[in-house]
Amino acid sequence: MNSRLGKHPLSLTTRVMTFVALAIGLSLLGIGYLVNSAVEHHFAEQDADELEVMTRAVDRALRKTSDGYSRLDEALSHAVSGHHGVYFQVWDKEQRLIYGPSTDDYLTPVGSFAPVSRIQVNNQYQWQAEGKTYRGVITQTQVGCFEYIIVAAIDMDAHLQFLKNFRRSLWLIMILAGTVTLLATWYGVHQGHAPLRGLSGTMREIQADRLHVRLEPDGVPRELQQLVTSFNDMIGRLEDSFVRLTHFSADIAHELRTPLTNIITQTQVVLGKSRGLVEYRELHYSNLEELERLAKMVNDMLWLAQSEHGLLKPVWESLGMAQEVRKLFDFFEALAEEKHIQLMLEGQAPKIKGDRAMLRRAMSNLLSNAIRHSPEGESVKVRLDVSDEGQVLLSVQNTGPEIPAEHLPRIFDRFYRVDPSRQRQSEGAGLGLAIVKSIVEAHYGSIDVSSDYGMTSFSICFPQAAINWDCEEGALP
Amino acid sequence: MRLLVVEDEIKTGDYLQQGLTEAGFMVTLARNGLDGHHLAMTETFDLLVLDVMLPDVDGWRIVQSIREAGRQTPVLFLTARDSIDDRVKGLELGADDYLVKPFAFAELLARVRTLLRRSSVPVMTDQMRVADLILDLPRHRAMRAGRKINLSHKEFCLLELLVRRQGEVLPRSLIASQVWDMNFDSDTNVIDVAIRRLRAKIDDDFETKLIHTVRGMGYKLELDDEHE
Repeated sequence: MNSRLGKHPLSLTTRVMTFVALAIGLSLLGIGYLVNSAVEHHFAEQDADELEVMTRAVDRALRKTSDGYSRLDEALSHAVSGHHGVYFQVWDKEQRLIYGPSTDDYLTPVGSFAPVSRIQVNNQYQWQAEGKTYRGVITQTQVGCFEYIIVAAIDMDAHLQFLKNFRRSLWLIMILAGTVTLLATWYGVHQGHAPLRGLSGTMREIQADRLHVRLEPDGVPRELQQLVTSFNDMIGRLEDSFVRLTHFSADIAHELRTPLTNIITQTQVVLGKSRGLVEYRELHYSNLEELERLAKMVNDMLWLAQSEHGLLKPVWESLGMAQEVRKLFDFFEALAEEKHIQLMLEGQAPKIKGDRAMLRRAMSNLLSNAIRHSPEGESVKVRLDVSDEGQVLLSVQNTGPEIPAEHLPRIFDRFYRVDPSRQRQSEGAGLGLAIVKSIVEAHYGSIDVSSDYGMTSFSICFPQAAINWDCEEGALP
Repeated sequence: MRLLVVEDEIKTGDYLQQGLTEAGFMVTLARNGLDGHHLAMTETFDLLVLDVMLPDVDGWRIVQSIREAGRQTPVLFLTARDSIDDRVKGLELGADDYLVKPFAFAELLARVRTLLRRSSVPVMTDQMRVADLILDLPRHRAMRAGRKINLSHKEFCLLELLVRRQGEVLPRSLIASQVWDMNFDSDTNVIDVAIRRLRAKIDDDFETKLIHTVRGMGYKLELDDEHE
């Protein structure tokens, strides 16, 4: 629930919309800029052509009348007939106005700009006079021994007005197109999330009693298939744990019921009538045995409860597994000899870090199982090995009847018994292997079981991290 | 031998007092930490049995106080299983041993005797004798009625333990711990098998049986047969 206090991640729609808005906005702005400058350029080119035509006409008129002033006036007055909104001036070399409207009205003085030799789009001048905007060029020409300066200008207000309107329309179109695109995107995203809402609806229906419900991976878009598969896996694991937990409660009740029934029945029967001292003593002994069994079961269950809450705290020390196994062989010697079973240790491994008492307990449980299920005269083998990754492997193997494959996945469950009819014999409450597993896991290791071809093997793998390379026991192969 | 038991649970306290008294100890029972603390500081005991969880002054405080006062009285802690860290803390504070509830009384008795023996000067002998059974400790040899008995190393250790603590009921867990250094509750009947094999060598051929089973508790070595 941290996310409520801290940063809440942006909604998927917001993310997509933000990206789309940015992309659309940028591309529309780009297009708008290009169109606008193309139109402006086009006008400038048009004006350049017009100005050039004008300048040539003036130039031609000047050349025709190179003989005198009187005819110059006349010739120039007809030079640009047929053009609208255009103006020109002709100056002599000493910057005296020869022809054209006076500078005060609309044309700029010649001195403000330098004359150009060729008229192009990029060497036109722009200026304002009398509230109007002009674009013009200044050129020089040589007629006979006279040098003239020609100023030609066009009133560009019409162009500017057009451009202004054009830009307004352009903005309007861009905003409209952007909005429509965004709305379409939003709708698309919303529609795209429909399968998610569908899944969410299905998930909402899954209650503790409906954990068997699975989502259909083929019914969703490809992008969601992995999510659906992961979800199904999760529900599978939950269902599994839930079933185990349910069984566990039932098993506890069952395990407790049997000794309690014994105690209650026996005590009631004995107290039913007056009896001798021996019989009372016998009752107490019998009760004591049942109670001890109960106490042991409670202790084991508390151990497992602690392990589940991560409360098993190994007291780490460096342990030579071969030495530990030999110690356990000493312990089980009598039991093994009774069944004529040989205890054998094969292989070697470097020392590991572990809790001596815990690991002895785990190995003791495995060994006692192996001895119990091994036929007389056979052998129980403990193999030590080092994997390629440097993990220390310890396996306890016994020959004898195989454990049916369907029991293997649950064999480490609490109270799980391969043969339910064999309860309450010598083998305790069915917590032994669960305790082994809890100990191995407290050592960050893993345990596995295999049973085939008349051989049952429990293999513990201690992770590399637990290996203490500093003090080796025996040389590594 | 004077024992101080500090236990606030009424029934447990009563039975500890009764059991230990009947085992031959002089038992003073304190029902709360304050009384226990006061008694431990003012009187002299050979051993303290302390419950860790006491409503007022807990077991740790009492141990701390007596150790600070320079007293070396051995202390046995009784702790609840759901606080395994207690054992570490207890041992760090100077407790000598701990027992996790629920525990068997036979186990407690055996531990109490072990602690009391530890604090007294050990008797160094080369030979031990019960009836016609003779143990030659340096040579690891056992003889009964003049006949040499062949024992494996561990069988001799087991017999030595039984003889050293003759008359005491030894729980299976204590035997596993003392003889094989296996300090955990074992699911197996290893101890029973080992005792059976030892009996076959020590008792089977002789009229007087020395090793006795105490049902629901453990084994003891004794001359006269009271139980069973």
